[in-house]
Amino acid sequence: MNRLLRAKADIQAKRVDAGPGTRWMTPIWRRLESVGGFIVVIAVWQLAQQASGLPSTLFPSSLDALHALVDLYQVGILYEYTLLSLSHYLLGLGLGAGIGLALGLLISSNRRVSDILMPLVNFTYAIVEVAWIPLLILWWGYSPATIVVAVAYVVASPLVHNIVTGVRSIPPVYIRAVRALGGDRRVVLTEVILPAIVPSLFNGLRVGAGFGFRALIFSEMISQSEGIGYLIFTSAASQQTARTVAGMIVMGALWLFLDRMYLRPLERMSTYRWGLSSEAEK
Amino acid sequence: MTSRFERAVYPVLLGAIPFGVIVVFWWLAPRMFEYPAYMLPTTAEVLKRLGELIQSGELLGSVLSSLGRLLGAFVIGNLIAIPLGILLAMNARVSRVVMPVAIFLQAVAGIAWAPLAVVWFGIGNVAVTFLVVNSVFFSSLYNTISGVQSIPLVLWRAMRSMGATQPTLIRELIIPGAMVQLLLGLRTSMALGWRSLVAAELIIGTNGIGFLMMDATKWYGTDTVICGIIIIGILWLAFDRFAFEPIERLTVRRWGLLSNH
Repeated sequence: MNRLLRAKADIQAKRVDAGPGTRWMTPIWRRLESVGGFIVVIAVWQLAQQASGLPSTLFPSSLDALHALVDLYQVGILYEYTLLSLSHYLLGLGLGAGIGLALGLLISSNRRVSDILMPLVNFTYAIVEVAWIPLLILWWGYSPATIVVAVAYVVASPLVHNIVTGVRSIPPVYIRAVRALGGDRRVVLTEVILPAIVPSLFNGLRVGAGFGFRALIFSEMISQSEGIGYLIFTSAASQQTARTVAGMIVMGALWLFLDRMYLRPLERMSTYRWGLSSEAEK
Repeated sequence: MTSRFERAVYPVLLGAIPFGVIVVFWWLAPRMFEYPAYMLPTTAEVLKRLGELIQSGELLGSVLSSLGRLLGAFVIGNLIAIPLGILLAMNARVSRVVMPVAIFLQAVAGIAWAPLAVVWFGIGNVAVTFLVVNSVFFSSLYNTISGVQSIPLVLWRAMRSMGATQPTLIRELIIPGAMVQLLLGLRTSMALGWRSLVAAELIIGTNGIGFLMMDATKWYGTDTVICGIIIIGILWLAFDRFAFEPIERLTVRRWGLLSNH
């Protein structure tokens, strides 16, 4: 998996951006182009709804969804649940990232220790996070704690896995060289290991953040207490399908916002600063 | 000097240590802490339950129906998504228009559709399969489009100026050029599909491994839940080892798409 991701990064680094044929386009035109896809989807959706003649409870139209969105906003549910979802997510993300980083570095600090713990790490990585949810429900009941723990687990597990495999892929020559030149363990950590694992660290964090968001929605649905996932799920159960669709749109927008605003800049910053996406590897 | 035998056995023994520690700790836990018995059944109880599930055929039935659904959905989803993705991405304008939508739909794909799936298909296998196909499809579509987009423009122009027709372009440029991302897409879509499958079976399933676990929570069957967690881990490891590693070896490495590894 990591090899594939690295190969992908190699390819993208060499990618040639928009050719001369597109140079005459103004940025505004470009922006319209990216909105165009959504307009087409919404138009098709509206037409399909009218053509099918299905009731709004079964197949809400885009207008119904918009009404539901405005309604949810006016009642105040939208704001409250978005905030709750966001706080579950961020809490879980922070907890998971902290634990994952600490555990990953601890495991990989010593070759022998990582030999011992690697199979366990691989095994926990293989257990999909949703599988833990029934157990968490048995332990904590239907509560926000279940949601936060589920998100934290999802974030931590790929992170540990990535850090450990990242450290393992460092050629031992580098470490020996630093040791031979008189560097102690701390120097090895700060000068060799930490810079070398930055890509795997961010990769793990990105994978974890994506899966964590799904886990958030799912555990909100299943723990039936609060948040956007809960809104999506209960609305359908009470025949308010338009609210479900509105909730899905909010959820997608929330993810795009998080992805654009935080994850991508972070990734770009880290890989550029360390010169990892340049030709340095060659 | 270590013999070949020792080198083969040593890592296995070493790797078994943490599992052993967990089992010992788990075995000692009831003696060390106070907690209601249902919260953590003893190792013996879990093993006994596992034996019962295997003997009654319940486990095998659940696993097979889950896997069948996953494979079906994986094949259907990818068979639609990859050709569609390639077609959409062949035109730069179209792919620029489609991409934001693909990103958005990929973000909401899968389990968020569960309530709609229930409204449309009712609780049961059809709704579960719909969810898995849905998440496989959108993830694969996104990966295919961004894979084709990552092919350097120079190569397109070179082929076009030498008079390549569309089928030649697809065969000689797009498929090999996007191969890394296509494989990554297959793998990601499998991972997401597997997650959606377990998740969907947990909330709207009527059979399968996820349903087995969720059904057990209603009766405080923590032993069954733990069996399920272990089985799910083993299944994914088996997928990875027997399906994806050989494919990766056969294609990516042989075609020299990976640089210096």
